[in-house]
Amino acid sequence: MTSTSGSVLASALQLAWVLLAGPLALGLMRKVRSRLEGRAGASVLQPLRDLAKLSRKQRTRPTDSTWVFGAAPVVLVASALVASAFSPLVTLSSLLATRVDFVAILFVLLLGSVALLLGALDTGTAFAGMGASRAAMVGAMVEPALLVAILAMSLGVGTSNLSRLVGVGVTTSALAGPARILALVSFFIAILAETGRLPVDNPATHLELTMIHEAMVLEYAGPDLALITLGESLRLVLLLGLFANLALPWGVASGTGTLGLFLGLLAVSLKVAAVAVAVSVFEVTTAKIRLFRIPELLAGAFLLGVLSVISAVALR
Amino acid sequence: MSLSYVSLLDLAVVVVMVTAALTLWRQSLAAAVKALAVQGVGLGAVAMILGAHRHDLILVGVGVLVLAIKALAVPLLITRVVAHDHAAREASPLINVPASLVGAGLLTLLAFAATRGVVTLVATPAGRLIPFGIAIVLIGFFSMVVRRRAVSQIVGLLTIDNGIALTAFLGTSGVPLVVELGVTLDVLLAVVVLQVLAAQLQRHFNVQDLDQLRDLHD
Amino acid sequence: MTDVLVAFIATASSAAIAGALLPRRVRVLVSAVLLIAASVCAIALAGHVVSSGSDVAWSHSTLLPLGGLVLRLTPLGALFVILSGLVGAAASLYWIGYSHHSLNARSAATSFSLFILGLLAVPMAGNVTTFLFAWELMALSSLALVAHDHARRREAVAAARWYAVMTQGGAVAITFSLIGLAAHANSTSFARIAASAATLTPGAASSFFLLALIGFASKSGAVPLHVWLPRAHAEAPGPVSALMSGAMVNLGVYGIILVGRVLLHGGEEWWWLVVSAIGAVTAIVGALYAATSKDVKRLLAYSTSDNMGLVLMALGASGLTLASGHATLASLALVTALVLVVNHSLFKSTLFFAAGSVHAATASRNMDELGGLARTMPVTSLAFLAGTLAVSAIPPLNGFAGEWLLFQSLLHSLASHGVAATITVTLAVAAVALTGGLTIIAFVKAYGITFLGRGRSDAALEARETSPTMRVAASLTALACVVTGVVPYAVIGVVNRALDAGANAPVAGWVTMRLNPLTGAVTPLYLSAALAGGIVLVASWRALAARRSGFASVATLEPWGSGRHNQTSRMQYTATSFGEPIMRVFDDVLRPDHDVDVSHVVESRYYLERISYRSANEDIVERALYRPATRALDWWARHTRGIANGSVHRYLAYGLVALVIILVVLQ
Repeated sequence: MTSTSGSVLASALQLAWVLLAGPLALGLMRKVRSRLEGRAGASVLQPLRDLAKLSRKQRTRPTDSTWVFGAAPVVLVASALVASAFSPLVTLSSLLATRVDFVAILFVLLLGSVALLLGALDTGTAFAGMGASRAAMVGAMVEPALLVAILAMSLGVGTSNLSRLVGVGVTTSALAGPARILALVSFFIAILAETGRLPVDNPATHLELTMIHEAMVLEYAGPDLALITLGESLRLVLLLGLFANLALPWGVASGTGTLGLFLGLLAVSLKVAAVAVAVSVFEVTTAKIRLFRIPELLAGAFLLGVLSVISAVALR
Repeated sequence: MSLSYVSLLDLAVVVVMVTAALTLWRQSLAAAVKALAVQGVGLGAVAMILGAHRHDLILVGVGVLVLAIKALAVPLLITRVVAHDHAAREASPLINVPASLVGAGLLTLLAFAATRGVVTLVATPAGRLIPFGIAIVLIGFFSMVVRRRAVSQIVGLLTIDNGIALTAFLGTSGVPLVVELGVTLDVLLAVVVLQVLAAQLQRHFNVQDLDQLRDLHD
Repeated sequence: MTDVLVAFIATASSAAIAGALLPRRVRVLVSAVLLIAASVCAIALAGHVVSSGSDVAWSHSTLLPLGGLVLRLTPLGALFVILSGLVGAAASLYWIGYSHHSLNARSAATSFSLFILGLLAVPMAGNVTTFLFAWELMALSSLALVAHDHARRREAVAAARWYAVMTQGGAVAITFSLIGLAAHANSTSFARIAASAATLTPGAASSFFLLALIGFASKSGAVPLHVWLPRAHAEAPGPVSALMSGAMVNLGVYGIILVGRVLLHGGEEWWWLVVSAIGAVTAIVGALYAATSKDVKRLLAYSTSDNMGLVLMALGASGLTLASGHATLASLALVTALVLVVNHSLFKSTLFFAAGSVHAATASRNMDELGGLARTMPVTSLAFLAGTLAVSAIPPLNGFAGEWLLFQSLLHSLASHGVAATITVTLAVAAVALTGGLTIIAFVKAYGITFLGRGRSDAALEARETSPTMRVAASLTALACVVTGVVPYAVIGVVNRALDAGANAPVAGWVTMRLNPLTGAVTPLYLSAALAGGIVLVASWRALAARRSGFASVATLEPWGSGRHNQTSRMQYTATSFGEPIMRVFDDVLRPDHDVDVSHVVESRYYLERISYRSANEDIVERALYRPATRALDWWARHTRGIANGSVHRYLAYGLVALVIILVVLQ
């Protein structure tokens, strides 16, 4: 039973979920990392407290910046929210579920990335320029892997609509099909690079010369920094949530009934938590690779995507 | 249904395929050898799945043999060469990794184009996987062309052998046990010889880069 | 409707005459107004043809030899007339302001008018003679405009020389192809040629198609015939670059569709494999050089090559699927190709207008000398930003619809095809994806380095916004990018009509773009609304947070420089440094030249006196293909010089020998 009001409710629920789950996922990943490294670590709630603290501070801007600098964080968060509202995270019947596809979600997220790159170049400093240049390179290498992975996943279903892609997994056996597995692996590597996790970028680095993402946002403070941290965490849970739902599609609600939504919420929270823990365990055991080895990693992801397309066509 | 014969077979073949790509992907020789071991596991699994499906006990036996030699013995031997030689941890390819990966992708496409006729001829679930076998042979060849180290050459050779074995398993009702036995043992012998040779080279000339051997001819 | 056609010819010709005769003060204004009127006439006429679906024809048998002047506006041609008209009108408006700066000489005004006339006449041509005449009119007048700055800039001369050779070579190929077709049909009329094409032998049809492909693909900047494009489009004055990239390259696509699909009815599968392959290579090469160039107009020119590569891929996919009997997929891919063409025209003319304004205001196209122009040139900056987002295919701008359709065409052709097409389509998807990423690098660099940060030279710091007509022209085309981005059906609907798709249109829907028998839907309208809503919501949260925190203002601070104060604008990243990582990744392909000179002070090697760094990133196709060719030609020319030593007697002897040979052969 899906009505417009039900879909609106579902999308609102998803928005609320990503807004809460984003910071919590960050906190969880930091906690897991600390515990594995033998430290007690901050509370899982710490990112939420940080956001509250930052939002009470004064906004700053570098001397020679323009409106672009201030607009970038807003566009970043808005694009992540729009993408989350229309993706099948809790339910397959969110608003516009039939009219928004994987490609659209990808390009909406791209709007946020481009805004952040331009905001960094607007500061007119060497560090931000360096960060933007590197992030643009990684982004340019990620996109082929992402697009080919999306194509490979869409091939088996005959459409790039996300709800259909996830829904097919619910009704048929999800694990079957090497094409889908290859595409998911490729997608996962691309997610790690896109969200700036190890081994591509170290989110906890404090040395300007090794930074990618952190160097870009060096000039942001106060509410703007809060928005950027929030926006990045939204993108992280959205992409991890999509990955989790594509890989393990069980539990996603198909309609907008109360029980279904509740179960869907529970399922996606558990799945994202599991993937987040897995990512941070992986991060503890791996080292950041050299900047100019990143293309090798992403070329590998791209090759897996191509192999997946080939398998999808050949093993039909 | 989810773990039927066909999907298991698909999965095993894809494992072999991906590990072939992995040997090109990772520059670390140790990782390449690990990939080779997993490749052996995949190949053994293919033989055993086929054997179980066809109720062919000999094929299952071949699978166990492949598993023992290609997943355990050969990787162990190569690992010893790598462990002895501290200078040769990295593959030092002739062309860079992204380019060789793109090359591998193109070769895979080529394999699929070239085996169209065969696939329509052998209209079985196993038959449609034959292009993967050919692709693995091509990738093995390619990695021998673009890699310098002696160990990389061995890895490439073994990849070719695995590709041939895979094609044989998938294409016919199985290789006669004797032939498979002979080939596998030949390869084992070749690896042993190469290992000895590589160690000798290392000891005498302190080189592992085959390009440098051009200076030795007189 | 023929009255409107005659009115169009009259106004466009009088614009050229006004440009040639009127005094400098009013010359450009009168010509530009007449050109806008002519463009409006042409658009009205083309709009009528598209909406009614019936041709409008007009002919004059004595104006041209061999069949006479025949104008016949078909729905397909009308689409290209509308595009040329829109870009032509905007460029004319832009020209009024630009002429204070340059491009106001008698010859320039005449050539500019003739160029627009040619752009509008090519897709109107109804027979071979008219087509070739209009094609040459367009080529020669644009050549004159590229060479316009020849007195001041050596580069303009070089660009014009490259352009002259390539465009005339292409024209020769096209002439051979069309005349061959006309000879077979025994008529120059396109309708008669199309009717008799079925009786052509496959070999003849293929060679005519390939000849036409060489000529037309070179016009669209396809690799390896693209080398003229980054030079000519970059050296041409602002409005001319916009016309060349926004309208002229389209006509190459029109030519391929005309010969391949209209005259030869689709032809064979391998033709379109060739077109796809050329498209994929073109897209990648164009995007790579766009991502690594530091001249803003050269970057835009390479991006034109890149976009035409995508169009060729879509055209190739369309031809392939048609040849294998999938009519629905074929028409989807053809619609995709045309939507890509329309979108490219709109955003590339915006970008070239803005880049022309920057060049007019700062006298520089080198991004390493620009920066911070968003403060001093806000309107131009906004227009360029719209173009940047559009070319990167980001919603809610118009590039997104084209990219989405391209992805869907490729996805569906892959889903229903054999292995041969699988390989091409897989490679095409790889090329599209790689191109997309590189385009974002190129345009984030173009906008970020040129308009954001601090000015890197005095010229950049002292730049002022240019004249109102230039700003209006750029804003209008930018607005068109936004409108067609939010409601892509404004473009798709016209394209459907032009292809006479009717109820079987492969894509439809004002609010939601839906593929017709295939599955796939996206709604740019709601997405744009949601994005706008989201931005308002987040911005108000930030304003609220600021009010609650008690800080009314935004603190302006000096940026972080690892503790260093007074950072200068020279410490910023430049276009060169921004593109350096990608240059390094593609080192093996691009093979750039780097040169670092370190000179030490005489007293001690530990102190440096000067470090100079030079890098050159010359087109690899040019280096690998054209330089050996020109060298061989040069060698041949030097060695045959002896034949012509200036003696009149010798020349007369050559004539006599030739005459004797002809007599002997013909007897």
